[in-house]
Amino acid sequence: MKPDAAPGASAGAGAGTNDGDGAPDGAWLRVHPASPFVRGWVLLAAMGFFFFRDSFERVLQGGPLVDERIAGRAPWLLLGGGIVLLLTVLGYILGWYFTRYQVAEGYVRLNTGFLFKQQRQARLDRVQAVDVVQPLLARIFGLAELKFEVADAGESAVRLAYLRMDEARQLRATILARAAGVPQNPARPGAAAAEAPEDAVLTVPPGRLVGSLILSEQSVFVVLGGAASVVLSALTENRSFYLFLIPAVLGMVAAYWNSVNRGYNFTAAVSPDGIRLRYGLLDTQAQTLPPGRIQALRVSQPPLWRIFGWYRIQVNVAGYGAAGGNGEGSSRTTLLPVGSFPDVLTMLALVLPDPGTPDPARVFTAGVNGLANPAAYSADTAVPEAPAGSGTDDGGFVTTPRRARLLAPLGWRRNGFTATDTALLIRSGRWWRNLVVVPHQRTQSMALEQGPLARRFRVADLVLHTTAGPVSPRLIQAGLDEGRALLDAQAARARAARQRQTSEHWLDQVRALGAGLAHTDEPNRQDEQQHG
Amino acid sequence: MPTEAIDPPGISWRRVSPKYVTVRLAGWALANLVVVSLLCLPLILVVNGWWQSFPLWLAVGIPAVTLVLALWRLLLIPRQVRAIGYAEREDDLLIRRGIFFQRTLVVPYGRMQYVDIGAGPVERGLGLCTLKLHTASAGTNAEIPGLPAAEGARLREQLSARGEARLAGL
Repeated sequence: MKPDAAPGASAGAGAGTNDGDGAPDGAWLRVHPASPFVRGWVLLAAMGFFFFRDSFERVLQGGPLVDERIAGRAPWLLLGGGIVLLLTVLGYILGWYFTRYQVAEGYVRLNTGFLFKQQRQARLDRVQAVDVVQPLLARIFGLAELKFEVADAGESAVRLAYLRMDEARQLRATILARAAGVPQNPARPGAAAAEAPEDAVLTVPPGRLVGSLILSEQSVFVVLGGAASVVLSALTENRSFYLFLIPAVLGMVAAYWNSVNRGYNFTAAVSPDGIRLRYGLLDTQAQTLPPGRIQALRVSQPPLWRIFGWYRIQVNVAGYGAAGGNGEGSSRTTLLPVGSFPDVLTMLALVLPDPGTPDPARVFTAGVNGLANPAAYSADTAVPEAPAGSGTDDGGFVTTPRRARLLAPLGWRRNGFTATDTALLIRSGRWWRNLVVVPHQRTQSMALEQGPLARRFRVADLVLHTTAGPVSPRLIQAGLDEGRALLDAQAARARAARQRQTSEHWLDQVRALGAGLAHTDEPNRQDEQQHG
Repeated sequence: MPTEAIDPPGISWRRVSPKYVTVRLAGWALANLVVVSLLCLPLILVVNGWWQSFPLWLAVGIPAVTLVLALWRLLLIPRQVRAIGYAEREDDLLIRRGIFFQRTLVVPYGRMQYVDIGAGPVERGLGLCTLKLHTASAGTNAEIPGLPAAEGARLREQLSARGEARLAGL
């Protein structure tokens, strides 16, 4: 079954004819005609290399173009090669011709394949993220790939490769506007949405990026490994240890290059569509995370970064899934590759527009850097009751009770939690400092866990389950009573937060908030609404 | 050893069917039969003189220790089954399990993506089933094994109805 193609979008013209002000709503469009070649250039190059390497080398050496021994068969070989080439190109063209997409009626649809057809549609209001990716070659041709992510944790729901850069941005704006619930102009129902304005919030200077790599854990391993092999070869007077170093060095250089290439020129901006991240040296990427799509967040600091006060932020987003070992996944789930503490506060303010506490800076500072004051512990029952203004103030964090300090001799004053009106904050680690933030309405489920040793000290772990990603929130060694109370309280808070969140259209929520503010008189009710 | 439960107080747990012990026993027997017979291979080889270099005490010790551990776990099975419990609250389902390594899980109804009911051959023979809840998080791992089939069906309908009423997005 062929979907009825819009007559205007005929072969050859395709998506190329749609200029800036967008296609009529519901039209079936094609990706850019050059895209299969941009995607498949490696295959074409390999074929060319396979067929012409010998001849090329002979010509370079001054010999004849074709070897005498196979001269008789040369036309057949050429014919065979030509047929393979023709078939490949034909496959590309057919694949391109039968790939069509459409954005209409709240859905994005994608039809692909000519032998095995696939028709896919995804609801726009289920969007978790929209990425615009430009690999180097596509960038040279001014093309870009658009990835539309839904909560599937696997591959991208819809990948359109490649569109012209302005088309990709236009499409992204349209998708995000429809998903946000922006009312369409009744006079021109098909009109493309204007791109939402954005304000740059922070950038990561290249120097800091390089510095962060030099001070990262892998550098420590590099130095240790290098020193170990030098010492070994000096002791055993065996030069072969240097040989082992060569592949290791190559691997490390590749890893560092990858990090620089991906993290270069990192810029975060905010727009009504959400948080927008851009980065990349050769391959550039622009991610858009609509509001409320971040399921969990972690601020972390390796020990060496403490010298300069740098931090890293990673997030769980349902559409991105678990970041595998490959660099792409981990860079997509990085909200801030390296930043100072004010940068961290800025990003936290973007992710949690309503932190649910009167003094967010104090709470987050305590979460990232704080340490419970041992004086706050009286004997064995110690819960510092967030004494406002006193010297033992620790941002309201409830830490591991003193009785369990043997389980975590270094970390027991760090491991702790506090709950604001909108999010649960879990901090841990004395050397590798971590702060995990989970918005209440994003909690999927929770579990209290306790092993025999923990039972001996009457502590328990609380695990929050969120979607797949680099962050796995776990409150380590909370006191048993506090843990139990938190399990109950957190279930109630998550329930209340879910009830406030009613629509997937994020602008609807903002509008409902505005209406609530306009119609209410009592100040306390107003407070309640603001947290919504 | 009296152990203190980690679950919130004031919850009346519903226990799974005592017949589930049989299911666990069957699984235990099958797994340990395979493992112990595999670990007995060196012993057979040594006794028959085909593998002289392997010390005899090790060839005897490995399967013996494994067997003792298996028997200890066998003794634990009835208590472990008794420790499995679930409770339907107003807005969430609680599932607990474990004696030494306890775990109490809270799954809000609105977070459920789908509910599975499965039954292995032994379970089916005893009229039992296993109910599994899935949320958007892979870590949830909410499983209630050893439910009587009727109770499983009732719980599934109940959970689906409540999930629909309290449906929340991600």
